[in-house]
This record gives sequence, structure tokens and C-alpha cells, in this order.
Amino acid sequence: MQKATRAIGVCCVLALTISNLAVTAMAAPATERYLHVKVDDGSKGESVNVNLPLSMAAAILPTVNKGTLHNGHVTIGATDFNGVDVRAILEAVRTAPDNEFVSVKEKDQDVRVAKSNGNLIVHVLDKSKDGEKVDVIIPMKVVDALFSTAKENELDVAAAVRALSDAGDAVLVTVQDATEHVRIWIDSHSSAE
Amino acid sequence: MVLLGKVALGIAGTALAGLGLICSEGMIEVNVVEKQPEAHHVYVLAPAMLVPITMHFIPNRKLGRAASEIKPWMPTIRAALEQLRASEDVTLVEVREPGQHVLVAKSGGSVVVDVTDNDDIVHISTPIRAIESTVEQIAAASSDTRD
Repeated sequence: MQKATRAIGVCCVLALTISNLAVTAMAAPATERYLHVKVDDGSKGESVNVNLPLSMAAAILPTVNKGTLHNGHVTIGATDFNGVDVRAILEAVRTAPDNEFVSVKEKDQDVRVAKSNGNLIVHVLDKSKDGEKVDVIIPMKVVDALFSTAKENELDVAAAVRALSDAGDAVLVTVQDATEHVRIWIDSHSSAE
Repeated sequence: MVLLGKVALGIAGTALAGLGLICSEGMIEVNVVEKQPEAHHVYVLAPAMLVPITMHFIPNRKLGRAASEIKPWMPTIRAALEQLRASEDVTLVEVREPGQHVLVAKSGGSVVVDVTDNDDIVHISTPIRAIESTVEQIAAASSDTRD
């Protein structure tokens, strides 16, 4: 009898502990993610910092119905893709192993498109314009989300933002020329510093 | 004498409760300092609840244009303010130029705008709840503005 009582007591304590843990886990707020944009113009001594909570962007986008943006989707004209089946290309890129897909070296410009560690990487070096260098690194999950809409002529920006929220800390875009430096990245810090 | 004391206590309690109610939505703070030789300094600290109350006294026809322009954007404004209220303190926008600094931030339950340039220093802090109720009132005015 004493053993049974003790066993019931242990079970009760365990159940309480587990339920407490579950409640704590449910109540703990998910870490907020931020999209940061930083523009520095060294020649003019100007700088612009924008820090946007991704949850805010995800909540706002579906409410905007203006121009080509409707319910978080951007409508693209048929001419924007010049007849190229972007979905088919992305599907091919997604299933392909990590590789360099495009590498163009010209007198004034270098272009490189590659897939590496689940990211789509675009690198452009313009040697003619103050050595402007552009690096774009987009997680493939975000690209997938962008094209996840059923309609051929739409991009699902809201889904892409949600996918960005789930992605790890990452520098998405850097543009560097002789005077200007632009950086777009996501992390869990509310400030750009 | 005891009765007088009770009455005084009642009045003081009512005044205190009224003050608490008026300040419940926070305070709007405006601070403007001119950097001129004859420097002017304007400082206003007012209960945020006064803004929506004041809005009731503005005739709807005066708000007609603002109301019709703001109404299509109400779902967006509501979503933005709701998320802003829920988010932690954050500097939303910061612009630095030679001689000028602009900062828009969420601090506590308020939206704070700080502008510093060669001529002035401006600081405005407005509770998000006051912004919400004021914007809702402006939008609501649109249905009654056909006079």
C-alpha cells in the first residue's frame, strides 16, 4: 500500500514537472528576427540604418493591396522573365548538387552564380564603375518560398519573409563601391551595431 | 468634523482616480530646443488620452480628406501598430548626415522621434495606444463626412 502511494506520488510530481515544462516552453516567446539595412556613404559622411522586425513585415505584407502587391504576392508581367521558365530553372538548381552554374569573365565585368550549402549565390564585380562589387546570398528555402505560389506570374513575398524568419543569421546582400557600402542581413539583434 | 474629512477624502480619491485614468494611456512628450542666439525652448508633457478626447471635438467634415486617404490603409496600420506594440524596444530608422541626425524608435510603449540638426533639437514621444485610438477615430470619421 505504501509503495503504491509512493508510486502515485512520484507519478504526480513527474506529471506536474512535465506540464510545467510544457507550459514554460509554450509561454516562452520565440526569438524575434530582424531585417537590417545599412547604407554608408563615406564621401558624404551619410549613413542610414533600418531595423525591421520580420514578424512585423510578415504581418504587414498580406494587408497591403496597392500596385502589383496584393495579399503578400507580387504580380510580375509576362515580359519580366523574357519567356524564361524561372520555376523550371529553380527546380533544376534545387535538385542539383553544389556547383558553379554560371561564370562569366569579361574585360569589365565578372559574374558568378552558384549553389553552395543550401544557398543561391550571385557575385557580380563591375570593374568599370569604381570596382562595384555585389554579393547576394539567398537561402534556397527563401527562393522556394518566393516561387511557392500556384500562379505562374506571382511571387509570394510574404512566404519568403516567413522563410527568412526561420533561416539562420545571414548576410543577404552586400554592395561595395569606392564610396558606398550597402549591407542587408538578418539576425536576432534589434540594433545594427 | 469627521464628515468633512470623509468628504475631503472622497474628493481627493476621485481626483486621484481621474488623474490615474487620464494618465493610463501614457504621456505625450514634445521637446523643442532652438539653437539660435535667442534660443526658444518648448516643452509639452500631456496625457495621451487627451488626444482621442480632443478628436471628438473636431467636426467630421474637417477630417474628411484625411479619413478617406487613411481608410484603405487601416488594415496595414492596425497590423503594424499591433506588431510594434508587441515587439521589444528597437531603433527602426536612423539617418546620420553631417549636421543632422534623425532617429525613429520604439521605446517602452511609445514611438520616439528624435531630430537633431544645426538649428533645432526636436524630441517627440507618443504612446502607441494613443496613435492607435487617434488613427481609428480619423478613419471612422470618413463614413460621416458627406455633408
